[in-house]
Amino acid sequence: MSGWKKVGVSAFIAVYVSYLSWGVMAHALKVGLCGNTLSYFVVWDMFCGWTAWDSRTHIIAQDSSGQFLEVREPWGEFHPYGHVARIHYDNTNHLLPKHIDHVLDHTVHDSIDRVYVVEEVWPKQYNLPPRLFQEYFSRPNDKLSYFHVRGIFSEDGLAMSLNPDWHDTQRLNAVYDNPRLRRQSSNATGLYSTLYSPRQSQSSGSLTTN
Amino acid sequence: MSLPAKTSEQSSALSRFFFAKETPFGLALVRMLLPLACGFPMFMRFPQSRLLYTTDGSPVQMYELFGHGAVLPVLPPGVAIPLYSLMLACFVCLSIGFCTRVSAIAAAVLYIYFNFMDGVGTMTKYSVIASHMLVLLSVSQAGVIWSVDAWLARRRNPQFRTLPPRVAVWPMRLMQILFAHIYFGAAITKIQTASFFSGEQMRYWMLSNWNYENPVGEMMAMWSPLLLVSAYISVVWEMMFPFLAWRPRGRFVALGMGVMFHFMTWLTLGLYVFPAICISSYFGYMNEKDFLFVRNWAARLRVDRWFVMPLVASERGLTALPRMLPAPAVWASLVAVATLACTEAELRMDIYGRNTAEGGYRLKPMDPLVARTMIKGSQPLREQDKYFSFEIGTMLVGNQLANRRAEFEFGETMIAQANLNPPHEDMWVECLLQDDEGRTIEQFGQFVTREKLKTNFIYEFGSKLVPGDYFMVLKSANKEVYRRPFVLTGTPPAQYRFSDVTN
Repeated sequence: MSGWKKVGVSAFIAVYVSYLSWGVMAHALKVGLCGNTLSYFVVWDMFCGWTAWDSRTHIIAQDSSGQFLEVREPWGEFHPYGHVARIHYDNTNHLLPKHIDHVLDHTVHDSIDRVYVVEEVWPKQYNLPPRLFQEYFSRPNDKLSYFHVRGIFSEDGLAMSLNPDWHDTQRLNAVYDNPRLRRQSSNATGLYSTLYSPRQSQSSGSLTTN
Repeated sequence: MSLPAKTSEQSSALSRFFFAKETPFGLALVRMLLPLACGFPMFMRFPQSRLLYTTDGSPVQMYELFGHGAVLPVLPPGVAIPLYSLMLACFVCLSIGFCTRVSAIAAAVLYIYFNFMDGVGTMTKYSVIASHMLVLLSVSQAGVIWSVDAWLARRRNPQFRTLPPRVAVWPMRLMQILFAHIYFGAAITKIQTASFFSGEQMRYWMLSNWNYENPVGEMMAMWSPLLLVSAYISVVWEMMFPFLAWRPRGRFVALGMGVMFHFMTWLTLGLYVFPAICISSYFGYMNEKDFLFVRNWAARLRVDRWFVMPLVASERGLTALPRMLPAPAVWASLVAVATLACTEAELRMDIYGRNTAEGGYRLKPMDPLVARTMIKGSQPLREQDKYFSFEIGTMLVGNQLANRRAEFEFGETMIAQANLNPPHEDMWVECLLQDDEGRTIEQFGQFVTREKLKTNFIYEFGSKLVPGDYFMVLKSANKEVYRRPFVLTGTPPAQYRFSDVTN
């Protein structure tokens, strides 16, 4: 190997190993990762966020005649890793608006008045096959799904109502189920800025910004 | 005087580590297997490529998930689908080692681009590992042996037939360093995830259906102590991997456990492609001596006779090719034909049904009752759904009930454990001991705050009970949630009598 080629290869090795090491250190110390897309290539967080509840996303459109339509690809859903459709892997909701637009644009239907986005959740133990469920829990599998409306949108895509997801709603309800907190929050004010500005008051001797 | 000598020695050791020359048997195996492992899901995605990666679909770039918007250009189907087809053709060429360097570079660039284009359904950690490996293959000399390129080189220069070529090992070292980082980083993730070490997270993952079928995982999910032990073993192995991977014997332990680990992820979590990519990349650890050992072992067992026919047939087939055709031209022609054929095939698939009478498919109507049930709002949770399980036994391992029992003896201590499904509110949970006619004998309760994943009730069988059938009942919000029957056997201990003290 020629001298220059060896220098080039050495530089490549140094840069590559530094990049890998930076990823591990940044991940360990939780620094420099937020909003950094390239960090995805060197952060090895394969175990994050597995919840006790399984969930699916349902999109329901209501047309001008009041008929409910299932906003699901009529040409067949794409299952990226098993038997679950791609839309259900969209935990950040970046795909959701594009998916709705895409399906409505590529299908035949009457004009749409409303679009409902509904989250379906159920405890994961009900995923067990009936025989195993009976063996472990000594009762029949009486799975019940819970439906939670995430958002209602008008025909032009305007959000008419938006709600936190089911998990956040449960956590908020758990915190809010506290009379002391409820009393304090009802007596508090949500306003962050006041009329008082230290800089203005120094220069003009007034509490107001004028 | 000794210090510079030592530095020079270390520098030379580092130089040997990266620039020693070997025949790249392991690298050639990686080149053959990895494109198949990472290319398989991409082949399966081909019918949906218009939907996933083009302006006529709904791509979501990785940059969007990180809050930067659409940084990469989204290409129209007329450009994106031929490029996707080119990527698939390059995977095949890379695997057989035909114009290896060009195929590897094209495959790496296009694979990374298409993964970036679909952050929801394509990009995942196995595609990240595969991207690294493809980049490293593209800067390596992976095609110098066991490839069409090597055969062409031998045909041009017959002296190459004597000994296989030797090349610098640095690309293999970088692959090895990559895996050391992957496992060390994964261990850090697990250490930062508290519920990983109590078994809950693995249990919920095994009960998820987000990957492929995992019937073994569904069975293992209910044995939390086993998951707990597996969690500690996997973290210790991952932390030790970088320290064992280059030891003469330690690397066999590290890699052997790695194979077992990935095999278990297939069996218990339903991961198919991830283990295939990792295990095919493990051949990057194979050196010359390893290969010679395996070859001698195979020769003793006469395994090599199975390879004679295909090797002779492929050699004859290649020899029949005319010599005057330049390899790059043949490669370009083959790739162009494959690309055109795939593009035409995709167009004929007409996934959106534009060529149907209506010019598209109709949306499916929903049962109004079902639709109204779904949109009417949140329902209150059943008490039973706040709990994962309620078991009785006598032994805890890592605060998980290790034995489920339906029969107890006097003198034993019963542990009744309730596992909860988070998120849940702060709760008052009660446990009742009832006889076979439903009469309550004991009742005890405790607060279970919102962060708790489980709670235990301890009951010692004293002299109060008689042998017979009983129930341990779990109540939440004053509702019965679970009922576990058990039989109490043996002889009760002597009961305390007032007369024993006075006399």
